[in-house]
Amino acid sequence: MRILTLACSLAALIVASPLSAQTLNVASAGDQNMVDYVKDYLGPMFEKANPGVKVVSVGTGPGDSGSQKIYEKLDAQKGAATTDFDVVVIHQKAAGQMVKEGLLNKYTGNVETAKLATGDAAKNSLGTDVGGFVIPMFQSQTALAYNADMVKTPPATFAELADWARKNPKQFGYNGIKGGMSGVSFVAGWVYAFGGDAEKLMKGPYDAATKTSWDKAFADLKEFNKNAVITPGNAGTLDMLNRGEIAIGPVWVDMFYSWQADGKLPPNMKLKLVSPGMPGQPMYYAVPEKSAQKKLAEAFIALATSPQVQADGIVKKFNWYPGIDAKNLEGKLDKAAWDKLFTDVTPAELAQNGKPFPIAPYFNDILEGYEKKVAN
Amino acid sequence: MSLSQRNLALLLIAPGLALVAALFLYPLCFSLISAFTGPQGGFSLQAFGKAWELYSGDVVFTVVIVLASCFFTGLAAIIIAGTLTLGENRWIVGTLKALYRWPLFIPFIVAAQCMRTFLAKNGLMNNSFVSLGLIEPLQAVSYLDWRGIIATFVWKQTPFVALLLAGALASLDRATLEAGRNLGASRMRVLVELALPQVMPQLLVALVLSFVTMLSVLSVPMMVAGSQPTMLTVDMAFRINAYGDYATANALGVITYLISAGAAIIYLKRGMAKENTP
Repeated sequence: MRILTLACSLAALIVASPLSAQTLNVASAGDQNMVDYVKDYLGPMFEKANPGVKVVSVGTGPGDSGSQKIYEKLDAQKGAATTDFDVVVIHQKAAGQMVKEGLLNKYTGNVETAKLATGDAAKNSLGTDVGGFVIPMFQSQTALAYNADMVKTPPATFAELADWARKNPKQFGYNGIKGGMSGVSFVAGWVYAFGGDAEKLMKGPYDAATKTSWDKAFADLKEFNKNAVITPGNAGTLDMLNRGEIAIGPVWVDMFYSWQADGKLPPNMKLKLVSPGMPGQPMYYAVPEKSAQKKLAEAFIALATSPQVQADGIVKKFNWYPGIDAKNLEGKLDKAAWDKLFTDVTPAELAQNGKPFPIAPYFNDILEGYEKKVAN
Repeated sequence: MSLSQRNLALLLIAPGLALVAALFLYPLCFSLISAFTGPQGGFSLQAFGKAWELYSGDVVFTVVIVLASCFFTGLAAIIIAGTLTLGENRWIVGTLKALYRWPLFIPFIVAAQCMRTFLAKNGLMNNSFVSLGLIEPLQAVSYLDWRGIIATFVWKQTPFVALLLAGALASLDRATLEAGRNLGASRMRVLVELALPQVMPQLLVALVLSFVTMLSVLSVPMMVAGSQPTMLTVDMAFRINAYGDYATANALGVITYLISAGAAIIYLKRGMAKENTP
């Protein structure tokens, strides 16, 4: 009898405990640093401000595949009363799809800081209207990293780069399209530069016939690839730059600065954002439609997108560009930290040459065209 | 009595059978059906058309890489197992015995990460050669391509094959080998002409198992080499991650099943031949 009483009270305790303490489950696509950011930085800060709340951070992996996993989970739990995730951090491609399929909650009206993000990325995700469903966590940008000792005057346009690669065989390296997004970004930039109407690719409307006009661009890229090195992944490009095996390669700006800060890249490395431009992309904070903790999730995102956290966490800690408009960070950030982000790529260059990725159907066409006409 | 024993037997294997059905047969059927379903539903070979159009080169690349890796793995395993069985220098045999199994305990992904810095143009291997004066710095080339994949596979699979082969060689009747030695045959000749033919079935089984393992590795081609051409596992992951296109990924999966079925047939034929011998 005593054992039964003990078992019953234990069971009651287990059932009751989630009521007294609330748990907020945050799922992040992206590299481990994104998971750590929530676990070590945002989570403890939020827990301190909201006693009794526990923030659990899970990672679903880098690149679009991480977002794909979040999408699959939400899709699978469509019929359930609640989903396992309360806040999700996702890429652009998945965000558009999730909004279209009704998997996300229109929450930004309840979050004060949503007004601070007025950029195009807050409303438009690769051609899909996501206004009201997402707030950017940060903006990231790709650019060409080059070894200033080996390249005295870096190419300023894609055409100059093609010329340079011809004269310096195997000195340019990128990771193709299967090894990470910096390579995808380079290929998209190439099509923007040589494929005709770049504006249409970024803004739409979609016309399936457009892809036939890229044949020349792809043929040139195939030729270009003969003089290029295909590196194993985003980190692979940085590795090869670091070891002096290549002189130029496309990289993510935040990875570049983080590696340099860690001493994994020599100080003679510099960045150049070539014309007509290379794509960058934001990651978004979103709340699943079936989240069990909507109020808590909104409070969490409000904290994460507040100017102080954007300044200290996003810019200072990770060298990302802020998700909310940069002017809101004035006074929150010392000049040195801000200038560091704009040493090689000036704000004017970023405004002119920092491009979004093409809208989703063109994006797929470019990837598949590359597989068909360049890689095969 | 016999009926209840039969029922008991069925009951005993039921959990295992259910597990196989739920975790293997169900996903297998699911992926087979998806591979043969068109975008509008219904039977279609469209996914295979796409897989062939885009990845035929990678199919050939995959088969060549895995076969070449099997060949070199077999060669290295024969050398190691042969030395262990027939070697006469106590120090060499002892050291080899202590060392050769190590890669067995290292996961593929860690092996790939090690090879990434080891085989690079300015990596550990080339730098060692340069400092030893064996090559000039300008002669250094990067092995981070198909050669890197083969090197990683061979390094990782050799201990497994060598382990099975050494076991088989150790259980051979020493008398025939000794007789060969007494009649003046070199150790090399004893290994190739006397020992190896007797352990061929074990070697073949070990190589078939390695073949299937190497066919399914994603981390090594992803981390060691660039992406064109690449192995089918990378293409499958890309199809899902970039396009959410399960049909083509599953079609590539079916092609992989067919390739490994070829290996499985050799394996089964061997097994049956063995059972039939008195």
